[in-house]
Amino acid sequence: MNAALRLWNLRVWGPYMRATARWPALRSIVPFLPLLALWWAVAAAEVFPRAFFPGPAEVVGAFFTLTYKGILPEYLFDSVTRLAVGAAVGVALGIPLGLLVGLNRGAHTALWPILLFFQAIGDIAWLPILLIWFGFGLTTMTFVIVYTVLFPIVLNTVLGVRSIPIDLHRAARSLGASPARVVWEVVLPGSLPNIVTGLRNGLGYGWRALIAAEIIVGTSGIGFLMFDARRAGSVVEIMLGMIVLGILWYIVDAWVLAPIERATGQRWGMVQRQ
Amino acid sequence: MRRLASAAVFSLPLIALVVLWAIVVRAFEVNPRLFPDVLSVGRAAIESINDGSLLGHVAASMWRVLVGTVLALILAIPMGIAMGVSPGVSSFFTPVFRFFSVLAGIAWIPIATLWFGYGFGAIVFVIFNAVFFVVTYNTLLGVASIPMPLRHAAASLGAGPWQMVTQVLLPGALPNIVTGVRTGLGFAWRGLIAAEMIATNVGLGYMLFVARDFYRTEVIVFGMIVIGVLWLLIDRLLLVPLERATMERWGTVRAA
Repeated sequence: MNAALRLWNLRVWGPYMRATARWPALRSIVPFLPLLALWWAVAAAEVFPRAFFPGPAEVVGAFFTLTYKGILPEYLFDSVTRLAVGAAVGVALGIPLGLLVGLNRGAHTALWPILLFFQAIGDIAWLPILLIWFGFGLTTMTFVIVYTVLFPIVLNTVLGVRSIPIDLHRAARSLGASPARVVWEVVLPGSLPNIVTGLRNGLGYGWRALIAAEIIVGTSGIGFLMFDARRAGSVVEIMLGMIVLGILWYIVDAWVLAPIERATGQRWGMVQRQ
Repeated sequence: MRRLASAAVFSLPLIALVVLWAIVVRAFEVNPRLFPDVLSVGRAAIESINDGSLLGHVAASMWRVLVGTVLALILAIPMGIAMGVSPGVSSFFTPVFRFFSVLAGIAWIPIATLWFGYGFGAIVFVIFNAVFFVVTYNTLLGVASIPMPLRHAAASLGAGPWQMVTQVLLPGALPNIVTGVRTGLGFAWRGLIAAEMIATNVGLGYMLFVARDFYRTEVIVFGMIVIGVLWLLIDRLLLVPLERATMERWGTVRAA
């Protein structure tokens, strides 16, 4: 037992650790190999009927077919565009609103309960009434995503603004900064780590809302692809949709948002710790 | 008395919003098929409470959330701890669980409805999923964040494996676990509403979606308010106090 463990450490774990130290990307790819193997084995053993539980090969095949037909790239592009537009509008509305609610006591008293309540209603519960207002279309989906992204950003911006020590405001003011400059050079950088956290959470929720909206509203997009496949009973395409969604969001989250969050935390996060 | 005053300050803007809603709808004579006025929402509320349909929908939704969440927690916490024990294993599996916690919830609805058919099974599966992966991932991170010296200290003082789990690993990871439960339930709640719109014939999401077919906006708005209030109650009365209590009781372990 011990000898086997030593051999494992020497021959497998050690080289793996060295390889990941050299190519950090390996660390997020290799762990999926045993999972793939397990998936393949379960599918090949036909524990479940093949139609309900296809193997990796079929899904890869579906990937190539759908890419070749141009459906997958088009739907992917649609989904990502919707998310990007929603996120941009959400940020553009959310940060100013957050600054207002965070800086102005009156605005805080008046708006904070309303914000909490509307956040609690949740994006997806809006879908039925949005369908009545805007019909099955792009407006409905954009509205849902903006709504979802907006609240985490606003709430986190408020938290960030309020976490800045009042001394810093006063110091900047007594050094002669105008209120606008205080906002630009003290409040905004000081709350940036929180804003980025809010953006990350908001996009995480927005992503899910987008899938739900595409399933229910259903004109195009990865969510629609999956639900269309469900109607046709094609598990292969559903799984393909899930994997594409997972990979895409993993890349956005782990390689874009998390590093930004870490960087702003390191650069501006100090302000909070006083 | 001060709590009463702060509650009043908190609810005043909401009351103002309702008043504004009443005035705007009346003043512009908004088509009730587009947006209902306050009175008709109130009537819809009383009607659905009296005929018991609201209770049925809420009970169905809550029962699904409860079953899915409890099943997920029973599996997720031991699994997260077991994987978190060894730093090598936990860092190896982190990307896999991260991947699945990204997918958690709504993305599973199509395949869940295919595997389990429309109904209870599919919805519980979606909720289970949303909670399970997020909680496992957070438990894993929580156990991994316990400083090694603490575990060595416990081991050298003679703690057996079982004591190690109950006295060091579980309490140390608890703040992370509770945060995970809160996040997971947030995803599960959205997943529930979405799944109920698609895959069932009772529940809050279904109530909204059926009302849409008949352009009964007053039922939709009432349903939205119920969903909001329920989530606020779950979050503020159950999850936030739980999180705060565990942070205060065990949160220091992480700071060591």
